[in-house]
Amino acid sequence: MRTRIGLAVVGTAAILLALAGCSGDSSALPGSATAPAPGATSPAPAAAPDTSCNPRASLKPAASLPPPGHMPAGTYMAKIQAQGRLILGTSQDTLLFSSRNPFTGKVEGFDVDMGRQIAQAIFGTPDKLQIKVIGYDKRVSSAMDGSVDIVADTMTANCKRWKDVNFSSIYYEAGQKVLVSSDSKAKSIDDLGGKKVCAASGSTSFDNIGKVKSKPIPVAKAAFGDCLVAFQQNEVDAISTDDTILAGMAAQDPYAKVVGSKFTEEPYGMAMSKSHPEFTAFVNAVLAKNRADGTWTATYKKWLGAFGPAPTPPVAEYK
Amino acid sequence: MSTALVARPSPGTQVAAGPAGVMPAPRRRGLFRRVGSLRHTSPGRLELLLGLLVTLGVLAGLLAGITGAATSAGTSDLGDRAQPLLVEAETIYSALADADTTAAQAFLAGGLEPAALTQRYNDDLERATTAISAAARLTADGSEGAASVRALSNGVARYSALVATARADNRQGLPVGSSYLSAASDLNRQTLLPQAQNLFRTAQRGVHDGYRSAASIVWAGLLVVLILALAGALLLAQRYLSRTTHRTFNVPLVGATALTVVLAIGTVFVLVGQSSHLDQADKAGSTPVAQLAEARILALRERGDEALTLAAHGSGSQYTADFADASAQLTTALGNRYFTDDLRDKHKAYLAVHDKVSSLDAAGSYDDAVKLAISTPTGQTFEAVTAGIGSALDERKAAFNEQIHAAGRGLGLLGVLGPIAALAICVLAGMGIRARLQEYR
Repeated sequence: MRTRIGLAVVGTAAILLALAGCSGDSSALPGSATAPAPGATSPAPAAAPDTSCNPRASLKPAASLPPPGHMPAGTYMAKIQAQGRLILGTSQDTLLFSSRNPFTGKVEGFDVDMGRQIAQAIFGTPDKLQIKVIGYDKRVSSAMDGSVDIVADTMTANCKRWKDVNFSSIYYEAGQKVLVSSDSKAKSIDDLGGKKVCAASGSTSFDNIGKVKSKPIPVAKAAFGDCLVAFQQNEVDAISTDDTILAGMAAQDPYAKVVGSKFTEEPYGMAMSKSHPEFTAFVNAVLAKNRADGTWTATYKKWLGAFGPAPTPPVAEYK
Repeated sequence: MSTALVARPSPGTQVAAGPAGVMPAPRRRGLFRRVGSLRHTSPGRLELLLGLLVTLGVLAGLLAGITGAATSAGTSDLGDRAQPLLVEAETIYSALADADTTAAQAFLAGGLEPAALTQRYNDDLERATTAISAAARLTADGSEGAASVRALSNGVARYSALVATARADNRQGLPVGSSYLSAASDLNRQTLLPQAQNLFRTAQRGVHDGYRSAASIVWAGLLVVLILALAGALLLAQRYLSRTTHRTFNVPLVGATALTVVLAIGTVFVLVGQSSHLDQADKAGSTPVAQLAEARILALRERGDEALTLAAHGSGSQYTADFADASAQLTTALGNRYFTDDLRDKHKAYLAVHDKVSSLDAAGSYDDAVKLAISTPTGQTFEAVTAGIGSALDERKAAFNEQIHAAGRGLGLLGVLGPIAALAICVLAGMGIRARLQEYR
């Protein structure tokens, strides 16, 4: 049993290395359907193609980073510096990306570290970060209305969301898979026709379940942790979302396994308000620096190292 | 009245056996004529008088029995069932609300669950389950209250299973434990607490109805009217006898009249006493108990909202709104005369600490906000409020029990002695009139 799960995890990691997808939030905001990136090499997602934009292309990074603690006056970074902390919108139940450590009570993970690195660049210390847990269906609106400075929450950059928020350059590549119980005969989500498949409400994963041809029944829960509870209570037959989130769940439940290959691609970006593009440029500069100096790889190893050696960081694309 | 009962002409052909063993239809007209013809002779008039007195006496006795039984059953139902159900419903609510708050605080504390919180959670659950089984005995089968009790006992089993899973996950360091805890909390707040509240409302209606049925106004009123009619009939009979015979007093009838007066005084004394004690039980017991119970429910809601706001870590705006709502309601509730200034000050002290927690959280010092919220001094500040309400509640419960006990006094006696006195009145009336009747033989 253990070895099989180990294999599943290794399999997951292998696919992760290949190139990955995401769980985005598909808040009910007006806009067109999710689109695959024209430049992407992986198989086209199930979503109707929307080629109105390249979701991976973000704003050009700032030419140089100001020294920490000395943000240029009049910029949004100066405002953050004045408020004394960076407010990061994320979740607290996505193991490995942003989840609450039961031992310490702190929210931590890959996404949280992304936020900490931005805080480091602004303040010179990563601890000046306030975590604000937001619902999956509030990710776009929280970034838009300024209730958080930045959202890093396994959020897929897509054209629909680009209409409302700015995304940073891609910091992680994920793709949607499905988690079933260890005795299930299903090989992929196509074998789950008529079965209940859970995803967080407001996530692109939830929408994607509805697009599968075999017609599984999508079940929405407030968060992915609630999906795992429902799965363990036999309320749903499977959970479908980004491979990374599923890997975190499988690690918590020896009777669960992740099956099939990625049927969508979900490039993760950090979302910010469109009203201050200089902040997006600043964040892109921080990401570019961290890709170059090995910080990204170290962060990957810290949280996702169990799935295999760190891949090369996603290549940044700019408009 | 006696003629009406003994010889009522039948409107139809089909006749059931009447109260006084009425003859079948064909002979009824004859009987009616025979009874009617009695008034033409002196002995006939005496017989009619006797019939009237005996009928009134029997009816008064019957009603005294019914009134005694109804008021005493109503009073003891109020004291032994309706009011205790209200108390149990409040216990269920406060125990479950406290369990939810305790679980959320243990979650906030992080790491190994503090032993004191585990103990407190276990105690809460024990109180809730004990109160649920007590409430099950106090609700009638198939009633709305029984449905709530059933939902509660099923729900509590599921609730404790979810919390147990959350603890097991927490011990293994699995983050899914927090999702189990939030599922448990949702079950508690969205299903269990509304059911407990529903039971509380049902019990409140039961207490209200209990006061009505304890007073049994209709029976008591009829009894008083009949006793007055009996006294009047006795006086008229004596006036008639002293005019038609040469005796001023008919001793047995005077005795019957005296007994009727005693019965009237006794009945009024018992019923007025009961009604004033019921009034006291309501004013000093039931009403304040309901108000205090509601206040405690609101206070617990505040504390629970505080913990859940922090546990939601920024996504708990609905809890913040609920806190504001509960706190506004509680401040209004605390304004009435059942609460002391001391209690109002204690609540203000807690609100001050809560404001500090909120402002720390709003300013980004989440860890400090959590530390302050679950600290022992904060816990003590809050518990001073609930403990204050609790001891006031105990006093009011005692006052209610005392008054309801006093209200029940004498009602049983009315049910027993009333019919006996009525019987004695009938016998005396019979003796008095038979003595005159024999003079015609």
